[in-house]
Amino acid sequence: MTEGKCASKCRLTSFMTSSLGKKFTVGAAGFLLGGFLVVHLAGNLFLFVGEGAFNHYAETLSNNPLLPAAEIALAALFLAHIVFALKVRFENAKARPVAYEVYEAKGGRTIGSKSMAVSGVLVLAFLIIHLKTFRFGDDKDGLYKLVMEWFKNPFYSGFYVLALAGLGLHLSHGFQSGFQTFGLNHPRYTPLIKKAGLVFAALIFLGFASMPIYFGFLRAP
Amino acid sequence: MNLTLKVWRQKGPNDAGKLVEYSAQGVSPDMSFLEMLDVVNEGLIKKGEDAIAFDSDCREGICGMCSLVINGQPHGPELGTATCQLHMRTFSDGDTIVVEPFRARAFPPVKDLAVDRSAFDRIMQAGGYVSVNTGNAPEANANLISHHVAEKAMDAAACIGCGACVAACPNASAMLFVAAKVSQYALLPQGQPERTRRALKMREAMDDEGFGNCSNEYACEAACPKEIKVSNIARFNREHLKASVCSEE
Repeated sequence: MTEGKCASKCRLTSFMTSSLGKKFTVGAAGFLLGGFLVVHLAGNLFLFVGEGAFNHYAETLSNNPLLPAAEIALAALFLAHIVFALKVRFENAKARPVAYEVYEAKGGRTIGSKSMAVSGVLVLAFLIIHLKTFRFGDDKDGLYKLVMEWFKNPFYSGFYVLALAGLGLHLSHGFQSGFQTFGLNHPRYTPLIKKAGLVFAALIFLGFASMPIYFGFLRAP
Repeated sequence: MNLTLKVWRQKGPNDAGKLVEYSAQGVSPDMSFLEMLDVVNEGLIKKGEDAIAFDSDCREGICGMCSLVINGQPHGPELGTATCQLHMRTFSDGDTIVVEPFRARAFPPVKDLAVDRSAFDRIMQAGGYVSVNTGNAPEANANLISHHVAEKAMDAAACIGCGACVAACPNASAMLFVAAKVSQYALLPQGQPERTRRALKMREAMDDEGFGNCSNEYACEAACPKEIKVSNIARFNREHLKASVCSEE
């Protein structure tokens, strides 16, 4: 039996415009972006190997004919994640027009979960600055020199570390939240997933932050 | 016990409303929170003032009619109890207690602490039912249900539909309520015929009422007087995804 709005509307449109579908999109894009972070971090760690290795990696990557397509796909992921998250956020703001005089959750909420919007905006601000300095920066002397030049600026490195802390905080909630949104919850595995999310967030933060901290503060003359 | 109450007073749906201070004198620690409000109301009526409007019915934690956000927490500070089961011994002499209504766009204010929670009824009408065939009752042992599954269904069915999950949610989302209802039917054979449509229809009704979106913060689970688990929300996500993507219905 088919009947009503559900059947007459296209299922996919109906799913994508639903509260659950929008969250699914945010989560799915978030997970893929998490995968990108891992690959990006692995590449960046060539900084520790040396100038030659890092520049060779950067050049090989930028000479790859598939790079523009990958970059467009990546931009689409960011856009989907941000646009749907903002839409969800604005709807949430409308859902309680009169705020509580006193509001205190009995449990459940974490620093990461409470600050998703703030950490998200921080990461977005970082992303824009990061793209401007490194992706579209002047690297005629090699990307290594450009990176080192920027890391020597304590304000840039400081902001870099702060934004990565924001990213870590974002992931600390986002990782487990994604699993829940995909419907993956199990009494045995969910506690492990929550712990794995915290470990993943910490590793991403420490991995990326190690570079500005080492090259900007520890090794700086 | 002597207490200071700051109670949300709002003459009607279109009034702005504000916190008004009342003093509750000689409160017995054995009174429930609602009985304490009854005593305060008697005093107000004797003085010729308008009594504080609030919802209650069974006063034994099973009907889901009582509400109130007490010091920022739906149903007050205790875990797994409704406001009617909250006793004044939880508080200390001289405390100031802030009492507000459940706040959500989908729960429009009626008066003072009473809000209209009929949005939940409309969500139930959209899919919270099962088909019952006419004829003789089926043989009881024909449908085998494992104890484990029956327990999970019962745990979900313990939801009394009070709306504390919405009140506690930072986004005023109704996911825990709808998830509990979808789950109690999805787990049992009686709920199978409408399983797909139920997930879609109840989600649609929930969205239409103007509830917020779940952000998986689980404040709902902590506030629920019946301790409904957020694993039900994951099940609802699963049911909805399956219904949207896989179902041919």
